[in-house]
Amino acid sequence: MAIPPPSKISVSNPASNTRRMRRIIAEDPEWSLTIVPRLSELCLQHIVSNFEKNPVLTQLNPIQQRRVLDRLSTDLPLKVVANLVTDESYWRRRCNQRWAVGHVEKYGNSWKRMFFERHLQDLLKYFIPGTTDPRVILELVPLCQDYVVRLSVDQFLPPVKLEQQIQEMEQSDSASETEVEEFSMDHYQLGQLVAGLRRLEELDLVFGVKDCGMNFEWNLFLFTTRDCLSLASTIKACHTLKVFKLTRSKVDDEKARVLIRSLMDHPALLELDLSHNNIGDRGVRAAAKLINHSHLQILKLANNKIRALGAQALAHALSYNTTLLSLNLRLNCIEDEGGQALAHALQSNSTLTNLHLGGNELSEPTATVFSQVLSVNTALTCINLSCNHIGLDGGKQLLEGMSDNKTLMEFDLRMSEIGQESEYLISVALNANREAARLRTLQPTCCHITVNHINNAAD
Amino acid sequence: MNSLLVDEEEEETLVPPVKEPSVNSDDPQERIQARRLRIAARLEARRREALGESLDRKKESEEDQSKSFKQKEESRLSLSKLLLCGTELVTNIQIAGDMRETHRRLDEDEAKRQRVEKLENEIKTSQEKFYDITAKWEDSKMKRIPQDLWGLLNEQQHQCAMLIEEKNKLISDLQQELKGKDDQYVKDLKKQGDDITLLLERMEEQVKNLINTFRQELNHIEKAFEQERQELLISNKKKWEREMNVHNSKELEYLMSHMKRVEDYEKQLNQQRVRDSEEYNSIKIKLELDVQILEQQLQQMKATYQLNQEKLEYNFQVLKKRDEENTIIKSQQKRKINRLHDVLNNLRMKLAKQIKQYHEDNITLTADYKRIIMQFRDLQKTMRHFAIINDKQFQEVWIINEEEAKALMDKALDVDKIIQLQQLGLPWTRPDYWFMKNVGPISHFKKKSATELVHELLLMSEEEEDESQKSSLKDQKSRLFLPKHLSAKTVRLILEIMCDESGFLIESKLLSLLYPLERNESCLLKLDSVFAALGIENEDDVYTLVQFFLDFRARRATSLQSQEALTPVSDAEGIGSIRRESCVPGDCQDQRHLLCSELIHPNDVLKALKAFVISQQKLREAPMPLKVVTQRELRDVSQDSEYWDALCFIIPLPRQKLWDALIDALQKYHNILTQRAKLLSDNEFLEQQNTELQMLLQQYIDSRINIELQVPPTQVFQGPMK
Repeated sequence: MAIPPPSKISVSNPASNTRRMRRIIAEDPEWSLTIVPRLSELCLQHIVSNFEKNPVLTQLNPIQQRRVLDRLSTDLPLKVVANLVTDESYWRRRCNQRWAVGHVEKYGNSWKRMFFERHLQDLLKYFIPGTTDPRVILELVPLCQDYVVRLSVDQFLPPVKLEQQIQEMEQSDSASETEVEEFSMDHYQLGQLVAGLRRLEELDLVFGVKDCGMNFEWNLFLFTTRDCLSLASTIKACHTLKVFKLTRSKVDDEKARVLIRSLMDHPALLELDLSHNNIGDRGVRAAAKLINHSHLQILKLANNKIRALGAQALAHALSYNTTLLSLNLRLNCIEDEGGQALAHALQSNSTLTNLHLGGNELSEPTATVFSQVLSVNTALTCINLSCNHIGLDGGKQLLEGMSDNKTLMEFDLRMSEIGQESEYLISVALNANREAARLRTLQPTCCHITVNHINNAAD
Repeated sequence: MNSLLVDEEEEETLVPPVKEPSVNSDDPQERIQARRLRIAARLEARRREALGESLDRKKESEEDQSKSFKQKEESRLSLSKLLLCGTELVTNIQIAGDMRETHRRLDEDEAKRQRVEKLENEIKTSQEKFYDITAKWEDSKMKRIPQDLWGLLNEQQHQCAMLIEEKNKLISDLQQELKGKDDQYVKDLKKQGDDITLLLERMEEQVKNLINTFRQELNHIEKAFEQERQELLISNKKKWEREMNVHNSKELEYLMSHMKRVEDYEKQLNQQRVRDSEEYNSIKIKLELDVQILEQQLQQMKATYQLNQEKLEYNFQVLKKRDEENTIIKSQQKRKINRLHDVLNNLRMKLAKQIKQYHEDNITLTADYKRIIMQFRDLQKTMRHFAIINDKQFQEVWIINEEEAKALMDKALDVDKIIQLQQLGLPWTRPDYWFMKNVGPISHFKKKSATELVHELLLMSEEEEDESQKSSLKDQKSRLFLPKHLSAKTVRLILEIMCDESGFLIESKLLSLLYPLERNESCLLKLDSVFAALGIENEDDVYTLVQFFLDFRARRATSLQSQEALTPVSDAEGIGSIRRESCVPGDCQDQRHLLCSELIHPNDVLKALKAFVISQQKLREAPMPLKVVTQRELRDVSQDSEYWDALCFIIPLPRQKLWDALIDALQKYHNILTQRAKLLSDNEFLEQQNTELQMLLQQYIDSRINIELQVPPTQVFQGPMK
């Protein structure tokens, strides 16, 4: 007896393969024996097909809504669906259709948020000032203002005229640097957009061009003063901002100072990331002032041009700071002077848990002070001193410090010439600390029982 | 730039892309596997839940740590180690990149420094050369010889060329360096690409590795669990079987016993059935009989029913009649009720009227009453006035009468005196009677106020002290009239005790004032205030107080001495006997009282006083208001007649008899005297006649005729006269 295939399936796949059909019947919860589709079903189909002109959704009952949503086209204009459809599965379909890869976990498990954020990011990424109509983005603001929490743009294109100019320059080979300066190199001004997004919490910007390859030109990576000023006013006006990242954008001291001044006493800011820039000691001094004038918890200044003076300023601020949890000074050049100052500051600081001083030309004197810090400080859980010239004696001193410490869980000393023995013993101590911490979190009451295990594990 | 990419990739490691078998795949094998995986995952989840519960228990029993726990611990350790090593391996690339970057930076710094130095040197040397050249230009102006000038110019040209060449060389050097840098940039790019691929490879490897090891460890753990479970199952099975065997045997036993019981019950059932059928038959017969009897009864009942029906019909007729009658009566009654209602209403109206009328009457009557009361008061006032006037009149009449009587009495007495003195010649003493001194109507003696009494008492006592025994006469004379049963001494003693004991009743101010006074005076004043406090006003109150004291004492004493009990009785008998006569206390009585008074304990005084005050209050509450009127009316007339009688009998009977005798005698004497008087008068008459005759004789004598007469008569007379 041949079962007539349901209308929906007949569209998608022919009933030629009975095996396949059977399987699909088993897996399809909507399958039914009815030959003629019901009127309600037809109505729903009609709603789906005319959704753009006449969006009917809220009047339906939950089951019908479910069906309509499952069948809605992913190509519907955002104006129709943005504020009407809250169903995650629809947005999931839309995301999956548009982007191959996507981690919804990064977007607070909300496919809708993911869609809008990535949509906006794409628009911004390929926005060419002067060429692209800015209304394209501003029209999107009322649609996505409730869903965009993070704005992460890793590329800002410069005005297209310049590119032509550059090409002309290359062709003619007669242009000079002064001529280039005349053209406005300003990127898209975020002010209006950010002001419209009322839930915005994270701003991750890179003023640069991706995938330039061998077409590399310094002009492509120009963060102009006007950009800087407008960005500063933008972030100052955005009171919901929690995370601000401006990386790989050639931010120098002056611009860093402008930005940081605008962030002074910001009500919500928790994380500031200015990695991979050109910030020197003066900019760092401003940052040091900032950590005591805001609720900043994470400060990343990796790969900048920080010297001993900047590190000392940071250390001074850190010695009486109670909010900062993580400090990253990777790939700077603070040297022993700065390292010692920071270590001294850590003796009185009891909030910082994470410190990264990798690649900072540190050596034995810093290690000596750090060993004292290790025995005194109980807040630190993670230290990175990799790529320094600590040396064998420094390693031994750090090992001594580790013997008194029970809280440190990560201590990266690779490529720091401390010798294998010290490295091994430190790792053993860290292991024991980790086990203890794990037990503490697992069962805060039964710590004494499993002390043996820790010892066994340590051996 | 290497580090930038590394950062990105690091994030990617967190979510390794794993291709899982899907239920939607076309390959049936894969689908089967997918479903299996799904089932396994569900089972796993369920088991994990169960395990999670038993986790704590396992940790507690440290001794017999299960294999699964050990396995879990081991796997955890090895996995964490693996994870650590893996991440280290992956991050090693980043570290290496950092290291390279730092080295590059150092080299760059060094190269930059050298370059700057080189440039500076170059600038210096070129500057010097430039100065030389410019200096030579100055020289050239001095040259006048064209040949020299030409040589100099050539030299200059040569030197300039040299300078430019040097600069060009420097530029070319720098350009070469730039090209080298470009090459290096390309190399770096490639290197970074390599690094990234390496990183990716390592990460993938790590992920695979991790997955494999995780699977492996999972398998190990699962196996351990399986084994444990198996062991548990076996042991449980054994236990189960054992229990089962026991249970089976028990079951069998129960079955046997049950069977037996079933047989027994069946037998019993059979017996029961037989018995029941017999019973059933007998009952059936009996019931049939009953049915017959009942049918007969039914017939009878039917007959009676017929009868009753007829009777009832008749009754019904009667009742109907009665009902009709009743309706008639009812209507009559209703009419009556209406009438009565009317009457009632009328009566009510009347009542209301009456009430109104009575109310008015009442008002008028109350007004009348008030008026009458006023009139009555006026009347009383007038009556009082008249009473007073009556009293006055009475007194006046009395006094007039009394004066008359007294005059008579005095006359009588004078007569008596004359008789006594003149007739009898005896000495006469004027009799002294109480009524003689009385002036005005007799009334009760005015009650003395208590203080006066006390004062007198005290005075008396003083006199007693002074005159001791002789005073008995004075006692008699004193105006103090004490009831017979109370001696003055007793009273005094009691009062003194009271005075001493009840000092609390006296005001303290008064006490301080009294201090300097004499004992008697102070005592008097004290008692005065005490009496005021106790509400004692007059003599009688004092006596009752004293009497009360005595009674109180006596009552206390009766319990002790039976003899003493008799005395108050005798006292009581004597109370009413003689009141107006002066009281001469008998010695024995007095002594007894003294004894008694000595016997009073001062402590009892207060109790007695208290009791007295209470009793006194009770007494006073009732008869106070009528006192004024009754006192006046109670004036007893009996004593008046007595008084007047007494006045009559002022001359005692023996004396009257004497008088009678005297009268007789005097009568006789009178008679004699009258005879004598008669005789005397006769005598006188005779004398008178005599004198007259003499006179006549004289006359005759003296008459001229006589002279004429030869012999005068006178001569005749003289002769007889001589």
